[in-house]
Amino acid sequence: MKKTCIAMLLAGGQGSRLYALTQNEAKPSVPFGGKYRIIDFPLSNCANSGIDTVGVLTQYRPLQLNSYIGNGQPWDLDSADGGVFILPPYQSAGEKGSWFSGTANAIYQNMGFIESYHPDNVLILSGDHIYKMDYAKMLREHLAREAACTIGVLQVSMEEATRFGIMNVGEDGYIREFEEKPKQPKSDLASMGIYIFNWEKLRAYLIADENDPNSSKDFGKNIIPNMLAAGEKLWPYRFEGYWRDVGTITSLWDANMDMLSPTLINLYDPEWPIGARSPVCPPHFTGDHAEIIHSIITEGCEVDGHVENSVLSTGVTVETSAQVVYSVLMPGAVVEAGATVEYAIVGENTVIRSGAHVGAPPDGTDAWGVATCGPNIEIRRGARVSPGAMLYTGEEV
Amino acid sequence: MRDFHGLIFAYNANPELRELVSLRTAASLPFCGRYRLIDLALSSMHNAGILDVGVIMQRDYQSLLDHIGSGKAWDMSRRSGGLRMLPPFGLPEYHTGEYTGTIEALNTVASYVRDIPQSHIVLMLGNLCANVDLTAAIRQHIRSGADITAVCADHTLSGMHHRFVVGADGFVEKMLLYRHGEDGEGLATLEGYIVHKDQLLDLMDRCKARRLNNFHQDALPLFFAEGGKMDVYVHHGYSQVVRSVEDYYRVNMDMLCGENRRSIFPADRPVRTKVHEEVSSYYGEEAVSHRSLVADDCIIRGQLESSIIFPGARIEAGAKIKNCILMRGCQVGEGVELENVIADKNCSFSAGTRLIGSDKLPTVVPKNSKI
Repeated sequence: MKKTCIAMLLAGGQGSRLYALTQNEAKPSVPFGGKYRIIDFPLSNCANSGIDTVGVLTQYRPLQLNSYIGNGQPWDLDSADGGVFILPPYQSAGEKGSWFSGTANAIYQNMGFIESYHPDNVLILSGDHIYKMDYAKMLREHLAREAACTIGVLQVSMEEATRFGIMNVGEDGYIREFEEKPKQPKSDLASMGIYIFNWEKLRAYLIADENDPNSSKDFGKNIIPNMLAAGEKLWPYRFEGYWRDVGTITSLWDANMDMLSPTLINLYDPEWPIGARSPVCPPHFTGDHAEIIHSIITEGCEVDGHVENSVLSTGVTVETSAQVVYSVLMPGAVVEAGATVEYAIVGENTVIRSGAHVGAPPDGTDAWGVATCGPNIEIRRGARVSPGAMLYTGEEV
Repeated sequence: MRDFHGLIFAYNANPELRELVSLRTAASLPFCGRYRLIDLALSSMHNAGILDVGVIMQRDYQSLLDHIGSGKAWDMSRRSGGLRMLPPFGLPEYHTGEYTGTIEALNTVASYVRDIPQSHIVLMLGNLCANVDLTAAIRQHIRSGADITAVCADHTLSGMHHRFVVGADGFVEKMLLYRHGEDGEGLATLEGYIVHKDQLLDLMDRCKARRLNNFHQDALPLFFAEGGKMDVYVHHGYSQVVRSVEDYYRVNMDMLCGENRRSIFPADRPVRTKVHEEVSSYYGEEAVSHRSLVADDCIIRGQLESSIIFPGARIEAGAKIKNCILMRGCQVGEGVELENVIADKNCSFSAGTRLIGSDKLPTVVPKNSKI
């Protein structure tokens, strides 16, 4: 069956800058915003944009991610002529088999999958961004501009521009130049890492790039510059709205805090639902002593303490007289009576025992940071976890 | 449990549920912030590995059909077997209008019952509020060698019910029909029964020949008269059959107590239901929520006390909600005061409204009301 556009979602990276949170699972399956995992956003965007065939490229610690995605049913991606496919690296006859050596190589290795759908276009996504985006609109622009490649871009401030891949556009609006993290940016259009390629064109560039021994097999570093050099038409699709990279502890914490503010990103919008695979739990219970202020609480939680400016995922317990302030509590975390958690991220099923104190408010020093406890840790009674600390699973505190 | 087939009765007409059942059956009444009562019977079956289940319906079953769908949520959407919704196929010859009795209900789907491939059948009420460990009940049934095992409560049920008195041999020696709330001899039946398929068909046929309708009043006396042996499995934990507005209000409010909640939602026997929305609830700066159960997809800016809030609620600042059940999609404006109110789905209360029901009998606001 021929498809206009299928999506390939790059979900193989470790996300090493999330440290303890990605010690045992890939970044796209890190819990986010109460009910979600990061990958829910691109998967839901695909489903809501009418893209019914998604290949998910996995590599690092894929077990949780694979079981989370399953047959794609929570995102309505369990369709009969398409669906969601987990694509791990594999061995071929007579070859040793190899890991994905770069983003472009990951797609190159799965050309067979793409070809089986005979798509006109391929949408390339990454699994580490929080945003709501209608890819169908981007596709319409891509087709109208007869582009070989359309790149999702976001307008950023000139200071921020030094941290992104920046697109310099010509008078006709097409992209002339691509600069990775320029010291002196010439434009404020930052790449979001979202590409729609004409498949015939991309196929040719992938094969050429694979045969180039000096290439790092990366879309931003190789494929896009090669296309520009060859005079292909590359169009910038300007996205307006909420978009955050959640690749670091601070940005993950920040983006979680953003979920408290529906003016930034409205998760209650019935027109653009974000799906998630979640266990069925009873509604959350608030006890006689519960104080919940400007916070998100998810089903299965039991709250009898003080929760302020925080995000509580499924099945979190906050006991009487416990304090949770400016923090992100992942599924199954427990904060016992009298414990305090502030400016912190607490991993899945981690227990903060009575009287323990995790994190501290910003004090203006450079040493300060969000305190992070990885999953399945026990923070002992009365223990102190300093701001900016990073606790790994298996550590004793 | 390959030898067991489930049958759930979701036909009951319960006039004492009034407005709550004007558009639905008792089995599809919303429960505890996100469930329907029938989820408990379906989950009890699922947790015991019974995946071939028939749901016997009669009328007003659209909401039930919407909720259950293919049975996927309970793993009952199977290539062979699985869940079957059973509206009446044919009415028995003695039928006199709308049927009322369990035996009559079974006879309307007699061809289905006859074709059940399993040797045993587990009967349950769709409006029973209990998470029954059917694995344990079935184990006891097999061990005791009884013809029928009845699932009974460990306490007196409120409202009309039947009781069994167990004799010295461990089997039922006496049945007490139509008892009310009072304590007394015997154990109150939760009307869950484990029975051999041939035994059940035999009782159905004989009742049909005699133009009898009821399971307890008619079929069981025939069974006991022939020396049939009935064992009793006592369900320890929360249980109540929902037959009236008071029952409905009580089973929901009882879930505010942690002990009851853990009995209905034990970690090892989860209750499954159809999943709707996937977004957490948000509490605003001035929100207060004490002793309440709040589902996902709610935005709470007002005050909650001892209430159960279903998904989609929007509760504005200054609103005070006490001892209430707000079903899916209720909108509560600024400064609204609600006490002892059951608001059905999609009700809206404009700013400043005040509605105080009696703590004996809560006020029911029908579906889609705008006040």
